[in-house]
Amino acid sequence: MFNFIISRLIYGFIVLLGATIVVFFIFNILPGDPVAMMAGMRTDVATRESIRKELGLDKPKVVQLGHYLNDLSPISFHENNEENQKKYEYLPLFQWGENITVLKTPYLRRSFQTNKKVSEIIVENLEGTFWLAFTAMLFATLFGILFGVLASLKQNSLLDHSLISISVIGISAPPFVLAALFAMLFGYYLAEYTGLNPVGHLWDTDLGGRKLMLKNLILPALTLGMRPLAIIVQLTRSSMLDVLSQDYIRTARAKGLKNYVIIVKHALKNALNPVITAVSGWLASLMAGAFFIEVIFSWKGLGSATIAAVVEKDFPVVMGITIFVALIFILINIFVDILYAMIDPRVRLKS
Amino acid sequence: MSENGTHNGIQGGEDFLLEVKNLKTHFKTEAGIVKAVNDISFNLRRGETLGIVGESGSGKSVTALSIMKLIPNPPGKIEGGEIIFNSTTKGKIDLVKTAERDMEYFRGNEISMIFQEPMTSLNPVFTCGDQVMEAIMIHQGVSRKEAKNQTIEIFKKVELPRPEAIFKAYPHEISGGQKQRVMIAMAMSCHPSILIADEPTTALDVTVQAKILDLMRHLRDENDMAIMFITHDLGVIAEIADRVAVMYNGQIVEQGTVYDIFSDPQHPYTKGLLACRPRLDIRLKVLPTVADFMHKDEQGKITEKTSYKFSSVGQAILFNYTTEEEIIERQQELAKQSPFLQVKNLKTHFPIRNGLFGKVTNHVKAVDDVSFDIYPGETIGLVGESGCGKTTLGRTILRLVEPTEGEIILEGRDITHIAKDELRAIRKDMQIIFQDPYSSLNPRMTIGEAIMEPMRVNNVLESDFQRKKKTIELLETVSLTKYHFERYPHEFSGGQRQRICIARALALNPKFIVCDESVSALDVSVQAQVLNLLNKLKEDFNFTYIFISHDLSVVKFMSDRIIVMNNGKIEELGYAEDIYNNPQSEYTKNLIKSIPKGDLSAIKQAQLKRNN
Repeated sequence: MFNFIISRLIYGFIVLLGATIVVFFIFNILPGDPVAMMAGMRTDVATRESIRKELGLDKPKVVQLGHYLNDLSPISFHENNEENQKKYEYLPLFQWGENITVLKTPYLRRSFQTNKKVSEIIVENLEGTFWLAFTAMLFATLFGILFGVLASLKQNSLLDHSLISISVIGISAPPFVLAALFAMLFGYYLAEYTGLNPVGHLWDTDLGGRKLMLKNLILPALTLGMRPLAIIVQLTRSSMLDVLSQDYIRTARAKGLKNYVIIVKHALKNALNPVITAVSGWLASLMAGAFFIEVIFSWKGLGSATIAAVVEKDFPVVMGITIFVALIFILINIFVDILYAMIDPRVRLKS
Repeated sequence: MSENGTHNGIQGGEDFLLEVKNLKTHFKTEAGIVKAVNDISFNLRRGETLGIVGESGSGKSVTALSIMKLIPNPPGKIEGGEIIFNSTTKGKIDLVKTAERDMEYFRGNEISMIFQEPMTSLNPVFTCGDQVMEAIMIHQGVSRKEAKNQTIEIFKKVELPRPEAIFKAYPHEISGGQKQRVMIAMAMSCHPSILIADEPTTALDVTVQAKILDLMRHLRDENDMAIMFITHDLGVIAEIADRVAVMYNGQIVEQGTVYDIFSDPQHPYTKGLLACRPRLDIRLKVLPTVADFMHKDEQGKITEKTSYKFSSVGQAILFNYTTEEEIIERQQELAKQSPFLQVKNLKTHFPIRNGLFGKVTNHVKAVDDVSFDIYPGETIGLVGESGCGKTTLGRTILRLVEPTEGEIILEGRDITHIAKDELRAIRKDMQIIFQDPYSSLNPRMTIGEAIMEPMRVNNVLESDFQRKKKTIELLETVSLTKYHFERYPHEFSGGQRQRICIARALALNPKFIVCDESVSALDVSVQAQVLNLLNKLKEDFNFTYIFISHDLSVVKFMSDRIIVMNNGKIEELGYAEDIYNNPQSEYTKNLIKSIPKGDLSAIKQAQLKRNN
């Protein structure tokens, strides 16, 4: 098991490195002059040159990549001077001559627009996205598995057919349509009964202090969870139907087990593997920020931050968030691999 | 309660453990109602073993599942009849009328069941111990600790090695035979009065089968338990059963004691079934088939063929065996020629990858230093238990698997390392017929297309018109007709599909055919037809065969010489008769000893022993 986790971590690191390199080249080959972005109205050539030098844009792309990776790495090499100390806030490990090996938090550079550290921007926006994604997936998983199991047990009944039809609608309706629909319906026309706002963030900061607004979470989470819910229903259903026809289910019945024990213990544990894959994939992509939904519900999160940064061509922010999302994908996948191995002992063989 | 069951000659009034009366189980399908079990009656006494024998689709498994009330509904339903079970705790009770909730009490407790496929019958995500414990805990209401002790106790009884370790093992970590022992342990855990065993040894090697049958006999006698033993193999029936019921087409066509059925079968189907099994003691020219004994008209009515070549099982054998002189003459003829295929020190190893970066840590030596010659027109039988390397050897010779070391010389030409293009030309001469006729035909291709495809690929014949003509000829060679050309595989039975596969192999006029377990998935009566066909083709076209099978009786019927393989090595090589009559190695001796023979004197002795 230990070997299994270590090998997954190593593979994960390689994938992250690859993702970073790809992201770096995409944004550095794209048209658009970062210096113009930063310098704004000032067209003074000397200033531009100094910014260019500071960003290392005068060096070849490969060297720039090296610098970028060095900035990202928690253990990195720098010239030991005050400027760098301030820039990276590092912890010196050992010194050799002019240079120093340091321990630091990954440095994702600063926003062209606000000059804020990208890592700070991510941390600020992460909370909103996290709670939204988490709630949406929790809702989708619980109800998805429940409905899927019900549909599989009553195969070809009216219940089965209606659940499947509804889930097809859930899969095919575009999220922004659903978002607008839900916001209007529950947040406006039926607001008297539901008491919900059409838009709003988790924290209400209007009156000075932060106030938790849990009810603002309901509509975006519901909308965001619709598609995963629909897919989980279908996956659970087909996976359960498959498992229920297996020989070992017949064995369990021949043993004289009660029906619910067979379904919950013997069938569900086997049927959940594909569902876990789907859930984790969705959770990871929801963590990337639900662009439309965050924008429509004015929810403050990674999605809305990314859109804002894209509009303003604020490359360090877009790059930082993209790499961060890749990291989340990788971590969730490693977590799921481990979860698989825990649920299905046969997976451990392939470590 | 006096029961008046005189059906099929059963005496009424006796206190049976289980009485099945006029049971009907039907399945609703798109094609209409299938009467899987159609009005059958039989009884089971305490401590008795009833064998139920029949081919696939005869309704024997449905009978078992009906008694357990495990028929999947829909589409199946018990439509009528009674299943009177004499329960030790609840007296006589009709299981047909028993509600699902009450059935849970009987299942796994008073009536338990084991299934054919030990590989898939255990839940892969729970340990073996867990799965056995579960049954003990629900039926006996004991604590986890007590259930664990009982489980380990029963694991010892079913002779599992290292019971504590297997208790914690997951099903994929133990062998097939061990899995079936775990299944038996599960079934035995609550001391049932009836054990229903549905083909419990069919998926296992003969040596493992012999041990499992031993174990079941032992447990039966120790616990005074009745066994309902379902199988398609009459040899196994002779080993274990006291009485037999022969099922055909949803009905019991004949039942009686094992000795009576084997010595004097009445129904033509039983006669056919007894005759068509390849024998080990003498070499038949042509295997009798069920169709030699009975005729089924369009309404499904069975009549016995009277004016036919075989009027009894004995005759079928007497007038039809090859004499010793004939065998020796053939052997000498064959050995005079120069070898068709020479295999020299052939090795096929598969790497085992391990560790973080998939480093090769070891090798599986599937074929390990094997050498032999085959003469033109000869049939070499390759026999051994699963995992012995026989399939890999067959595929390596055809270079479907690349050899690691050694030489393969075909008609004096070394083909071990020749390039892909040259190999393709040679492949025309070498064909293979696989085990599973269901998965070796593309379901989206008509069988005509399937047979024509290899001819097109290899540019045999000039036009599709000629190829089609040839295909129809081939279909007729394997006893199909030109009307089958446009049909799809799903419209054919298993035996017909295997004949289609044979026709496809013949399409390229090969000289050499590897039959890899080609009849293992077929019913005995169908198996006999396919074996006869293969033999006839050998005579007509002078083919050279490698015949791979786990079934020594089939291999002996087909082969001039036999190679016994074990652990990738040749254990023994010799003439079929010599190997059978005078095996040299322990492994071969054990293999031969384990085969259920089903001869009358053995049955008589076994019965005498039972009655004392």
